[in-house]
Amino acid sequence: MMAKIRRRCKRRCFGLRGDGFAESTQRIISIANLNPMAKLRIQFENGDPEKLIEFDPAKAPFHHDGKPGSILDVMLGHGIHLEHACGGNCACTTCHVIVKQGFNKLGESSDQEEDLLDRAPGLTPTSRLGCQAVIEDPNAEIVVVVPRYTINQVSEAAEE
Amino acid sequence: MTTDAPPAASSKRTTLNARVEKIFDHASDTRSLFLSLTSGKHLRFVPGQFISITIPLADETRSRPYSIASDPEDRSPFEICFNRVAGGRGVAWLFDRSVGDTLDFSGPFGTFTLAPEPDSEEGFIAEGTGIAPIRPMLKQALAAPSAAKIHLIYAASDRQHILYAAELDALARSAPNFSYEPVIAPAESIYDRLSELAQTRWIAGDQDRTRHLYICGVGKGVLRLRDLLRGAGYERRAVHYEQW
Repeated sequence: MMAKIRRRCKRRCFGLRGDGFAESTQRIISIANLNPMAKLRIQFENGDPEKLIEFDPAKAPFHHDGKPGSILDVMLGHGIHLEHACGGNCACTTCHVIVKQGFNKLGESSDQEEDLLDRAPGLTPTSRLGCQAVIEDPNAEIVVVVPRYTINQVSEAAEE
Repeated sequence: MTTDAPPAASSKRTTLNARVEKIFDHASDTRSLFLSLTSGKHLRFVPGQFISITIPLADETRSRPYSIASDPEDRSPFEICFNRVAGGRGVAWLFDRSVGDTLDFSGPFGTFTLAPEPDSEEGFIAEGTGIAPIRPMLKQALAAPSAAKIHLIYAASDRQHILYAAELDALARSAPNFSYEPVIAPAESIYDRLSELAQTRWIAGDQDRTRHLYICGVGKGVLRLRDLLRGAGYERRAVHYEQW
């Protein structure tokens, strides 16, 4: 049911929030050239400083985990950690991110991603798996939040 | 390219450390490692879950998932099983581990787990090492108070790669509600065969669409099976799968 709701919500446009980049935002620019550069701004619910990556989607893959050009691929390729317990193979939800801006600019989700998101803690209408959400548009400006609980949600209780 | 170090807080992972207690080779390319936590504690997990092992390669560190093949109720070392894959650097590193070596991992993770309290049949389809998460799920399902029917279709490319064959045979003899169907098929047509069997048993066989079905294996064939079953009237949430 939630996946269906999510699908319905997909066409909704989520407005720009927190416009303008905070002073403390660290900018990570892959290659300075005159081509349009996609922007991926990452906010961390755990209070880590916000990051901004400017990159050319045509240069994907940037790393070896997740779909080439996915949020996970872009982050890892620019030295920013995002949990991906299954190795970026669309088999878990640890790379769950909430898209605050640019949801409709991301590649379509598969049934497999929707099935997994369906069981992700803290699911929102604009949730995506970082390993599957591909940024192809060089003009895209994407803002995502990394939820606190995706960071090793289970391990602390794993021993008894 | 300018990169910077991962922010300290978000890169902080709670890792556990385990020691290799025993190695068992199912076949020349398929191995189980039996692991115990070096803390002396017991790993708590739900049947069907996996751990994410930290693989320290020469040039970088990767995390790779391995399903837990043993039963959480079993207090002895827990088991992962895997097979060699061409170009698989993570698994090559695992094949190099010896008894007494330690490794770091996080988890358990994963939502490929049994639905609560089934009141109708549970069907399982495993391909190759895809039996790993299903093995403890079967035990959990058989331990449930309901006597719902449980059927396993398990395919591999030859007899040697039907893992836990003796155990599954014994289970089928001792548990009246459990039946098991090993299938040998060439690797390239293994999912065609599985699709035929699923079609015969769970689609053409009757009109019941209330059973829960669990599929685990390698490759896109898993998704074909999912689509076949959902397309035949099973609810989306009743068709569980894990594709490696």
